[in-house]
Amino acid sequence: MSVLNVEGLCKRYPAFRLADVSFSLGEGRITGFIGRNGAGKTTTLKSLLNLVHPDSGKIEFFGERFAERELDIKRRIGFVSGGVNYYPQKKLKLITAVTSRFYSGWDEGAYRRYLETFALDEEKTPAALSEGMKVKYALALALSHGAELLMLDEPTSGLDPVSREDLLDVFLGLSGEGKTILFSTHITSDLDKCADDIIYIKGGRILAEESLKGYLASYKVAAFEPGPVPERAASLLIGCKSTKGGYSGLVKSSDAEKALAAGAKVSDADLDSVMVHMEKE
Amino acid sequence: MKNLLAKEFRLAMHPTALLFLALSAMLIIPNYPYYVTFFYTGLAVFFTCLGGRENRDIYYSAMLPVRKVDIVRARFAFVVILEAAQLLLAVPFALLRQSFPMPGNQVGMDANLAFFGLSLLMLGLFNLSFFRVYYRDVNKVGKAFAVSSTVTWIYIVVAEACDHALPFFRDELDTPDPAHLGAKLAVLGAGLLAFLALTGLAYRRAAADFEALDL
Repeated sequence: MSVLNVEGLCKRYPAFRLADVSFSLGEGRITGFIGRNGAGKTTTLKSLLNLVHPDSGKIEFFGERFAERELDIKRRIGFVSGGVNYYPQKKLKLITAVTSRFYSGWDEGAYRRYLETFALDEEKTPAALSEGMKVKYALALALSHGAELLMLDEPTSGLDPVSREDLLDVFLGLSGEGKTILFSTHITSDLDKCADDIIYIKGGRILAEESLKGYLASYKVAAFEPGPVPERAASLLIGCKSTKGGYSGLVKSSDAEKALAAGAKVSDADLDSVMVHMEKE
Repeated sequence: MKNLLAKEFRLAMHPTALLFLALSAMLIIPNYPYYVTFFYTGLAVFFTCLGGRENRDIYYSAMLPVRKVDIVRARFAFVVILEAAQLLLAVPFALLRQSFPMPGNQVGMDANLAFFGLSLLMLGLFNLSFFRVYYRDVNKVGKAFAVSSTVTWIYIVVAEACDHALPFFRDELDTPDPAHLGAKLAVLGAGLLAFLALTGLAYRRAAADFEALDL
């Protein structure tokens, strides 16, 4: 059973639309939801929780329709947009006291452990926390009410490299405990470090949904010296762009030999290079 | 509901709401347009909703295991409690003012039973005009307050004008209690019913508006 199953999600705005978004999340896996700014990541996540109303589509958490089991489902998930960005001047102690009342399964012992693990001081306010600590506090709240699925919208935005690494370690640890994590990001290097699967959205459409390894294995980067694109390579290139030493494009792994024969230097693709070239298409 | 109401008072309520409750004491000012006292209640509601926008209260609440309609219901319950507290706290000051050995309020209505009925109607109109605008777009709190303030001030001007111009208001309603008790009790009862009807209508429309709103 999928932790989350989305089928045919559509939402139309005057200048943008989500078109037939479908994907599913496997239990205990970390899934990166990638796409450039404005690709539809946040709209998709908000649609899942009915914060924006989809025009059509089926959304099931833990095999149950969200519209029919909203309260039960909300108790089993944690949604974090950035970090804790509400009530910035109230003490964490007060926010926790108010929030915990809503969850019959609130585990105070677990909460205390997470405070200690994340080195959070309850006497502080969200405004006094670093961006990384805000995310950790949000995670502590979600985990203490027993969230099985964590959905995080851009949790690593604005973090320095050390804090990002630190947070990714936390995600890996949680995944090891069986938690399912979906996090949107445009910082693709985060996913190289911890994601099992990726969902790639471009212009409101899902471009890819598969394992990260499988996705990366299906592409190579072909780099060419300055000059006209060899005719036999032109049709192979996906998202050709200029580089410092010439130009590059993405090729399907099955076309790597042909690109080599056309004079390209072929190298493995990372998520960053795949996305940069894909967005050029 | 109990938990959301706790959230309203512990997190969402603007501190000035408590300060404004103390302004019920304005009813002992010898001569004053006493309706203004309850305008401050609306100001507290405005500050709380404005603070909610700045503190992302709607977003925080929407993430909790509650439905959107519950969020609206809790806000209405909070506001009605605030308004009821303001009115109840005003009662002893109204009695105190009536006991003063001096003529009644020379500016407008005396602080009597009819005045409380007319104030209830005013608060009902505030609730309807404020929340009809607010829950269509929770980010436009200023617009909601501009509309509701206009409604409130027009009401005050009309009510006080009636007090001077209409014999029924001037000679029966604007008198010390217990004179013309029957008429005043009727106004009090009608005011209470109007408050409940207007607030109930505001709630139903607000719940529908907020449900349809994309956050």
